[in-house]
Amino acid sequence: MATQSAPPNPPAENPTGYQESKQAGVDEGQTMAEGPKEASPKSVFVNSQPIREDQVQNAVSFLSHPRVRGSPVVHRRNFLERKGLTKEEIDEAFRRVPDPSPAVASGQSSTYQDAQGMPSTNIQTQPQAIQPVTAAPSGVMSTMTRKFHWSHAVLAVGFLAISGAGTAIVFKLLQNAVVPRFKSWIRRVVLDEDDVLEKRTAGKPNLAEEAAAAAKAAAAAAADVAKASQEMVITKNEEKKCFSEFMALLDVQLQEIRTMRNAIAKLEVCVVDCGTLVTSTRMGNHTLLEEALSEKSIWMAQYHVHCDKWTESQSLILDQIMEMVQRGERPPNVRDIDDRPPNPNQPISNPSLAPRAKPWQVLQSASSASYVPQPQVTSNGSSYTAQDYGVSYQLNNDSSIPWRQQRNARITEIENGDRSMFGSGSNGTVSIDLPTQRRWVPPQPPPVSMPEAAVAIRQPKSSIPKDFNVRAEDAAKPITEVDELQKITKISELGGQLDVNGRTGSSEIITSEIQEQVTEL
Amino acid sequence: MPVFKTPFNGYSVKFSPFYENRLAVATAQNFGILGNGRVHVLDLASGPVPAPMSELASFDTADGVYDIAWSESHDNLFIAAIADGSLKLYDLYLPPPANPARSLAEHTREVHSVDWNPTRRDSFLSSSWDDTIKLWTLDRPASVRTFKEHVYCVYSAAWNPRHSDVFASASGDCTVRVWDVREPGSTMIIPAHDHEILSCDWNKYDDCLLVTGSVDKTVRVWDVRNFRVPLAVLSGHGYAVRKVKFSPHRRNMIMSCSYDMKVCIWDFMVEDALIGRYDHHTEFAVGIDMSVLVEGLLASTGIPQSDANWFAHAEYIQLFAEE
Repeated sequence: MATQSAPPNPPAENPTGYQESKQAGVDEGQTMAEGPKEASPKSVFVNSQPIREDQVQNAVSFLSHPRVRGSPVVHRRNFLERKGLTKEEIDEAFRRVPDPSPAVASGQSSTYQDAQGMPSTNIQTQPQAIQPVTAAPSGVMSTMTRKFHWSHAVLAVGFLAISGAGTAIVFKLLQNAVVPRFKSWIRRVVLDEDDVLEKRTAGKPNLAEEAAAAAKAAAAAAADVAKASQEMVITKNEEKKCFSEFMALLDVQLQEIRTMRNAIAKLEVCVVDCGTLVTSTRMGNHTLLEEALSEKSIWMAQYHVHCDKWTESQSLILDQIMEMVQRGERPPNVRDIDDRPPNPNQPISNPSLAPRAKPWQVLQSASSASYVPQPQVTSNGSSYTAQDYGVSYQLNNDSSIPWRQQRNARITEIENGDRSMFGSGSNGTVSIDLPTQRRWVPPQPPPVSMPEAAVAIRQPKSSIPKDFNVRAEDAAKPITEVDELQKITKISELGGQLDVNGRTGSSEIITSEIQEQVTEL
Repeated sequence: MPVFKTPFNGYSVKFSPFYENRLAVATAQNFGILGNGRVHVLDLASGPVPAPMSELASFDTADGVYDIAWSESHDNLFIAAIADGSLKLYDLYLPPPANPARSLAEHTREVHSVDWNPTRRDSFLSSSWDDTIKLWTLDRPASVRTFKEHVYCVYSAAWNPRHSDVFASASGDCTVRVWDVREPGSTMIIPAHDHEILSCDWNKYDDCLLVTGSVDKTVRVWDVRNFRVPLAVLSGHGYAVRKVKFSPHRRNMIMSCSYDMKVCIWDFMVEDALIGRYDHHTEFAVGIDMSVLVEGLLASTGIPQSDANWFAHAEYIQLFAEE
């Protein structure tokens, strides 16, 4: 048996190959004048029409759209294919549009999501994709990467806030700790006037100096704090601005997502290709498979409402099954069956019949008949039965003609010597002008008990009147009863013999002769 | 007309290319949503009166069977497309416990259809809901090629009846692609419908014509040499068209089945294309086939609309000869 690796075109160097030569033989008879056609080696099953520039332009503008750029490549291609563009036109359009690789966009989008925890992760829980939706945010997010530094801004603002808080704490500490200390220290100093005057007099200038220094330090600290708080206020303002801008961008993105969603919803209605939005279970696909129209629920409606022939019980059963599947249960009538091959290495049995030619293959010219490989005729023909060939060989028993043939007899051709070609028996064959060449040789028909009967049936009826006339001449002779008796006995003896009086008789001829004899008498 | 009742919902029926009286039916439990599957190999009685079909063999599978394809090289083999993503090869000359002979598990989603190459006879294609089509031969345990371009479920792939390397695929991404196994990718993309395309088939007598059936209730005929405009748009079905097939005996005849419980016969070259309609189904016809060996012999299978018993659905495979 030929394998795929050894195709029947042995001349591998011949680009036209086995099939092409056949096709050239076949197709040249057909109208090949339409459209620009390349040389005969090109198969007719290849698109040979030139690239249409206007279609390519449309495709380029489609592909350049920002929303489209975020969608998967296969969806873009499929859309263009459905618009009627050829592969070459689609490839040309892709070539013309610089395409940011989807990998980069998705990579950026993932890092962005990690940093931000975008709500689009909720959308992405449907893996098979709301691919347009997720891809669109990823496309949008690529623009948002410029805003990446806003996180830095937020962090900086936070740092500033903390530092501001820190300085406020320091200031408070100053207030709470340093200044009271200073006060208490002054009090102590004032209250300790009784102390050694020298100390006082010596301490006063010290106190004053230290007080002055402390005051200076406090003033400086206060000034610093004032500066810091001022800066904090400024940064807060800036932060407010940044945040408001950020919120505005978020709003914009939200709106874009909404419009994308609306567009998808519209597509949903128009296109039955809703598998992208439905979890890809067999039930989902089965539902789509069974849809008569584009709406999803029509299958159920078809069984319930529109199709009045569907009975209540069947639709109930269908409902029950689908509910069970949705719940993840197994219907109770499902068994565990092990259908694995018990011996995967077991050799396959040999065929006992040779392949038959197809009706359309026979009508081809004889030169292309070599499509059919040499039939693998098996060893003996004894395994064949008359059954295998249908009604080809049922001439000896008319009553066993199948009901099919009886019914069809009126529309089929009977006078056709090649009737056995396809084993379709007395149904006749496709047409009269069959080639006489046979590639499949039928085995010997089962022995016929009356070969002269088989032959005579095949013979045209015109021979009978001739014999009849000859016989009639004989009948013109005077016939006596004895003669008649002799003839009748002779006729009965003819039953199993060939070539009576040099003629090949037949039961029909004999019968007609008997009848003639009777009428003559 | 002969009827065979199956315990599960019928999904696909195929005549054997070797035996006129033989056909196989793919069935799945619980509407194919969740449950076991079974393949029945049936024999049409060939006596003088129409008798019920008899079952030659049946094979149980753990998951639903969505499609079967008879081998074109071996009269005893067929491939079953299973809802668990595997393909199983059954050999009728082996005793039933020895089956399946092979299990090819590469698809990651349900295998929706399988088609055997009628000219080369050594290879077959599987189309899956994992958006890919795989090419296999019997002598290899792994796929020869994987074709991954569709962006949604591939519902059907069909070999060209004359060009043994060309096939077409129909997908839920609303495109039909024409492929050549010698090329790395698809050679043609036809945006055939605005909705999911559930089935496609080639014209057996004009190898450039394709027919497609879609959820949009129409059957369209395309010429690959001028694929921007359909040759014919056949309307008449009331619901999604589940399967379309070009007749192996008549050049312009198309058979289609739909969830509107009708099987329609069309001649797309005629002004009033609908030339026959079979209304006597009591089921949602899901699978149809026309016998290559016997002209006028049609089969259909589907999901019934009657029989209330939860655990013992009866489905009908009806065989009827064309008037």
